[in-house]
Amino acid sequence: MLLSNPFLSGKTFDSEWKNALKTIKSMLNQTNVPQPEWQALFEIMNGLVTWIDNGSERIAAELTKELEKHIVASAKSLPTQGDDHALLTAYVHEWVNYMLMVDYLPKPFYFLTRNTNNKMHPAAKRPPTFNQNPVRQNMLSTWYRLVFNNVKQRLLKAAMELIRKDREGEHVEKFLIENVRKSFVELYPNETEPLELYRQEYEKAYYENLASFYQCRTADYMEKHGILSYIAYADKKLMEELDRASKYLERGNADTEATLLQKCLEVLYNNYEEQILAECVPLIKANDIEKLQMIYRVAHRTANGNKTMKDTLFHYIRREGLDQMIQNAEAISSDCDKYVEQLLEMHGRFTRLVKEAFNNDSKYLTERDKAFKEIVNSTEVFKLDVSKNYKGPVESRSPELLAIYCDQLLRKSAVSKRLTSEEVDEKLNNIILVLKYVQNKDVFMRFHKLHLSRRLILETTSDQEKEETLVRQFREIGMPADYVNKLSRMLQDIEINKDTNSAIKRTICQNNNNDTISIVDMMSLKILNVGAWGKSRYNQVTLPREIEDCSNEIQEVYKRMHVGRKLYWSPHMSSATIVINNTNGKYDLDVSALQLSVLNAFNNRPTAQLTFDDLKIATELLDADLNRTLMSLVAFPKLKRQLLLTNCQPLVPKNFTDSTLFWINGDFGITKNEKIQPRGRLNLIGRLNVIADATTDQECDEVIRLRCFRLQEAIIKIMKARRKISSAQLEVELVEQLKHMFLPSKKLIKEQIEWLIDNKYMARDENDMNIFSYTT
Amino acid sequence: METDSPVQTSSEEQQKLFSLKKWNPVALWTWDVECDTCAICRVNLMEACLRCQSDSKSDECVVVWGECNHSFHNCCMALWVKQNNRCPLCQVDWSVQRVGK
Repeated sequence: MLLSNPFLSGKTFDSEWKNALKTIKSMLNQTNVPQPEWQALFEIMNGLVTWIDNGSERIAAELTKELEKHIVASAKSLPTQGDDHALLTAYVHEWVNYMLMVDYLPKPFYFLTRNTNNKMHPAAKRPPTFNQNPVRQNMLSTWYRLVFNNVKQRLLKAAMELIRKDREGEHVEKFLIENVRKSFVELYPNETEPLELYRQEYEKAYYENLASFYQCRTADYMEKHGILSYIAYADKKLMEELDRASKYLERGNADTEATLLQKCLEVLYNNYEEQILAECVPLIKANDIEKLQMIYRVAHRTANGNKTMKDTLFHYIRREGLDQMIQNAEAISSDCDKYVEQLLEMHGRFTRLVKEAFNNDSKYLTERDKAFKEIVNSTEVFKLDVSKNYKGPVESRSPELLAIYCDQLLRKSAVSKRLTSEEVDEKLNNIILVLKYVQNKDVFMRFHKLHLSRRLILETTSDQEKEETLVRQFREIGMPADYVNKLSRMLQDIEINKDTNSAIKRTICQNNNNDTISIVDMMSLKILNVGAWGKSRYNQVTLPREIEDCSNEIQEVYKRMHVGRKLYWSPHMSSATIVINNTNGKYDLDVSALQLSVLNAFNNRPTAQLTFDDLKIATELLDADLNRTLMSLVAFPKLKRQLLLTNCQPLVPKNFTDSTLFWINGDFGITKNEKIQPRGRLNLIGRLNVIADATTDQECDEVIRLRCFRLQEAIIKIMKARRKISSAQLEVELVEQLKHMFLPSKKLIKEQIEWLIDNKYMARDENDMNIFSYTT
Repeated sequence: METDSPVQTSSEEQQKLFSLKKWNPVALWTWDVECDTCAICRVNLMEACLRCQSDSKSDECVVVWGECNHSFHNCCMALWVKQNNRCPLCQVDWSVQRVGK
């Protein structure tokens, strides 16, 4: 059904418009418009646009006429005489009222815009936003033409004067300024560059005002109060200006923000930058957090200030850290406890500094990390000769010290006994923290593995759970994976071993006589997987008869339990507790199997004097082992009355000859405060080399050997991927690949490259010495 | 001779110096193999083969010996014989002598 055209039945454009005009006029004059009338306006406009030819154009023309009439009336109400401020107040009053209409009046004309818009921009599919509404645009441009354009200079001047007063701290009507800003933003003569007028007139005036306000004031302040107060002044003023601009400038545009900041810094900071930044060091030293915060807030906004501050922080931390280390070098190099605690204390202090003074800025934390890395890995305090056989660059001893500290916490030791479980956890976490800075993580892991095997074999671990947690943490922070795997296998193996131990003991007890059973009863057997624990020396050692019998028995039982396994006894890892009874008393002694072997030689003849040669035959020990074992018995550091005596003078292992005599001290005893104790327990194993290859030299050779392999692997991996590479690039990539384990030295890299070239894995380029290529 | 050398008495002569109270022996075990390395995956036989390492089934990865006395990871060999039922080292027909346990 067709809608009938109402305009055929007497209605005309003029009659309808007349109705509409009544509502429009009351709106412009801010009188109350009842809702039905408001709705009728929509209907009328729809009707006019739909049914009348050129309806939209005619409406637009009529509307413009009406608007002009209204605006001219408004403009007349503005005072032409008098000061700018009076004009400003009057203008803002009219403007605010007008703007209210600008927000409402275009709504009924939506139909009109829809049609014209489609005609004008056939390509535009989206309806125009409200701000682009032509009626609205029309209202604004008319206002610009008839009112604003004539008074804008005076308004600007008045606004700037108000801003100046605001800066002085006087109370001003902020909304006046804000509305001037709004006028400059909303009104423009140039459609393509809406913000041009605002930028060129308002913003420009604002910045000029800013500069001229501070120009002499900053210089004045500096002269009167000095740099330290000036920092506070600049900080305060900067905050104020940023805050002020959020009210008086059009925001929300990255460009504007940057310009604003730059303008503020220009007047407040740039001229005094050098002086301000020079204060950083003394302030850090004095720990003046408040002032540092101020400098940070101002200076971190400029590239130069930021860089200078970061550098200052880096050098300060590095120097301060190293100085403290060197100062206490003597105390801390003998006591790993102090070393680690000092490291942690410094780390905490510097972290706090960055957090408090530099807003925990991640870039400043990076500087802390960089500096701390240097402190941890510095060779100024401790040097570790990685290997006597390999002369490479010196390395810091910190990995070793950290490992020893770790051992003290995890072992049943004097240190760990003083601490609660939570304290130990906290300290272990701290070690993890410091470990991240350690360059040569492989050295740490090597020592840690050695200590762990000692703890597990001697059963001196204070808390198995902590060991496991630590291994997990190592994995999380990316410690060298092969070592971490070994550690977790060792822990697993010890668990498996508990079952093996009881199974074997049960079997032996079932089918044996009393002698063997008594030794099985006192036995705690460990059968370990070589894959996890590493090879040990298997040389034969003579032990008490009952032990040897029992060992053979165990071997038999084990063979029946498993298929295809070989068992080696490791005297270097074995230990015993013996009871010595003499005229002074009865003593329990923990001894290593090697010590047991030597003492066993005397067992049936406690008063005999035996030569070195006799002992060698009796024990079957190698010279070096025998030397070391005898030394531990004739000169045990904690004993006043040694267990074994000798005629060797002066007492050093190299003075032992085949005919040196040894005998048991019949007057042996444990003393406390110079007095003999009738009962006592003593651990003679001490820090003896439980593992055969545990001497530090061999330990470190091993480290170097592994590093060579890792380097070769890494070189080949890179060569395979790159085919051709310059030596400099190769070095960079190597460091990148290996840095989680160790920092390869140039010398080591060169050597491995030479080796690989010699073995035809890679070749030098014929034309360029510094280019390598991969040979398949 | 030192002055504090022990005085010999017959009663002490018979007495033993010490008696054992506790004994903590440690032994290490390895597979009883001629060559440490598995010729198939090139990993030491004391370690799990690569496949088991990545599947974290390290505990179950044992060694197998053929009649030729060559030894490999059992799982490596199991895959190998599917393609070629000969020992990879000596080319003799493969038959299992024993499996590690």
